[in-house]
Amino acid sequence: MEFDLENPLTISHDIHSDTLTSMFSLESDHMPSEIYFQTVQARDFDISIRREAIASISQLCCNYDNLLQYLAVNYLDRFLSCQGMLQPKPWLIKLLAISCVSLAAKMKKADFSLADVQGDGRIIFDTQTIQRMEVLILGALKWRMRSITPFSFISFFNSLFKLEDPPLLQALKARAAQIIFKSQKDVELLGFKPSIIAASALLSASHELFPMQYPCFKKALSNCSYVNKENMLQCYSAMQDIVADGFDSVLEMVSSSVTAANVLDHNFSSSAESGTTTVTGMTPLRLEKDMKRRKISEYCKDHRVQISQIQNC
Amino acid sequence: MEKYEKLEKVGEGTYGKVYKAKDKATGQLVALKKTRLEMDEEGVPPTALREVSLLQMLSQSLYIVRLLCVEHVDSKEGKPVLYLVFEYLDTDLKKFIDSHRKGPSPRPLAPSMVQSFLYQLCKGVAHCHSHGVLHRDLKPQNLLLDKERGILKIADLGLGRAFTVPLKSYTHEIVTLWYRAPEVLLGSTHYSTGVDMWSVGCIFAEMVRRQALFPGDSEFQQLLHIFRLLGTPTDKQWPGVNALRDWHVYPQWQPQNLARAVPALGPDGVDLLEKMLKYDPAERISAKAALDHPYFDSLDKSQF
Repeated sequence: MEFDLENPLTISHDIHSDTLTSMFSLESDHMPSEIYFQTVQARDFDISIRREAIASISQLCCNYDNLLQYLAVNYLDRFLSCQGMLQPKPWLIKLLAISCVSLAAKMKKADFSLADVQGDGRIIFDTQTIQRMEVLILGALKWRMRSITPFSFISFFNSLFKLEDPPLLQALKARAAQIIFKSQKDVELLGFKPSIIAASALLSASHELFPMQYPCFKKALSNCSYVNKENMLQCYSAMQDIVADGFDSVLEMVSSSVTAANVLDHNFSSSAESGTTTVTGMTPLRLEKDMKRRKISEYCKDHRVQISQIQNC
Repeated sequence: MEKYEKLEKVGEGTYGKVYKAKDKATGQLVALKKTRLEMDEEGVPPTALREVSLLQMLSQSLYIVRLLCVEHVDSKEGKPVLYLVFEYLDTDLKKFIDSHRKGPSPRPLAPSMVQSFLYQLCKGVAHCHSHGVLHRDLKPQNLLLDKERGILKIADLGLGRAFTVPLKSYTHEIVTLWYRAPEVLLGSTHYSTGVDMWSVGCIFAEMVRRQALFPGDSEFQQLLHIFRLLGTPTDKQWPGVNALRDWHVYPQWQPQNLARAVPALGPDGVDLLEKMLKYDPAERISAKAALDHPYFDSLDKSQF
């Protein structure tokens, strides 16, 4: 019975063609209104409330899978969209954030306890207050809690690409998911439908990972009868700032002659020479970042080699 | 709840009383279903949350009674109460069949009407099944009708733990067994979409006969009714039947001619009914396949 963002309309595993049609026809019910998008864009003040609430949600969700956060922010936006912006009271924003996360956790059957977040020492709400807020959110969202999000469309769009190699598909999906997570925070992208966000994120991911195949992916998405091509391209271009921001490091690593592996080797060896276990010449944070980069660059190299395996379309 | 004016009690749903009410602001008629939502220390119970949101999603279909909204009220005793607000339809299939059997002008249901209602029922069931949801308690009382427009909609979806189909309803009224599939009666725990198709078959026959096909008053009697018409099932016909939890040794009946039980039904209809009443749940026709059965060839499907 639990709710799966990638498969929101069914609790069985096989996706029906009817389900797909309903997803495209219902998706607009699961996004903030046009007016909300305009208000948020027009007034800096509102953005700061949204930003604060999202920061609070990410903090609450930091030990859970990203989809929990995504769902909670979806509830937040939809709630703000029909209730109007809140007064900028920190406790109110915090209460809203907790309640959105609590509802998302219940939908996803995540092991999340209010008691855990109550103990963070700053603002403490009694459970009744949170319950009331939950009920308020449920009413505003008309109990439509099985949100249709961009994740709901990824498998379907992926199936259009005719990528036969599962690791490549995984890579594409993973990168698209990263882009979708980032996109949610960007108010410029709030006005696009979930399916359009999904299509544009896949397009961006394919451009990065499989540039050779990009034109045919673009063609496949543009030919899809459910996708408005103009909207997709508009969204795609709006998405490029966010995408560039996250992918710089990857591109840098790929083009650089000094690989992250070398850097790490160097640092580890220097620590070995000094006879201690501490890593010198690099803060742990920096080290962690570089390890991540190393993973990404290796992953890119792997996938670039495998490009030839992609079926020509 | 001040938003609604309660007009009359229209029934006892599986989960509680059902009222006909009017939305004071819009004048729209609604059906109010009171459920008891037990709040725990974690707020809105997760199962209720997931199930109501599932119901909300399923009710987007034309063939499912629409859930308009959910009202949450703190009762006088301080216990939170959840009302489900559904669209109101003036009658149900049970009352409709009764009115054709008894009353001032008893007459059969028009064959084209039976066909159209059955088609809509299969559409609704297919919709539920495509979303992975079993109804589990399909019966004429749960099929609401808009007589004017000839529309049939499925109501009272039993979804899961919070709304499980009980043996006795909220008001201790015995839940009817007439539409219950043999695998459920025999204690199978891994039943699937076939249970709903069995009920659809029973309802189909009842529309044609204007009386129930298998009117049992206990689980045992219910099985005997079925066996007397369709023959006592054998392990060959239904692999594994002898191993079901509540299987006993029953009198050995031979299958009767099903067409004789539904004399007003043509050969295509009998064929479809036979496929819905297969003993082996795996052999029973699916709702989606039923929609393509020749019985519906003469139906104008463009209207659906």
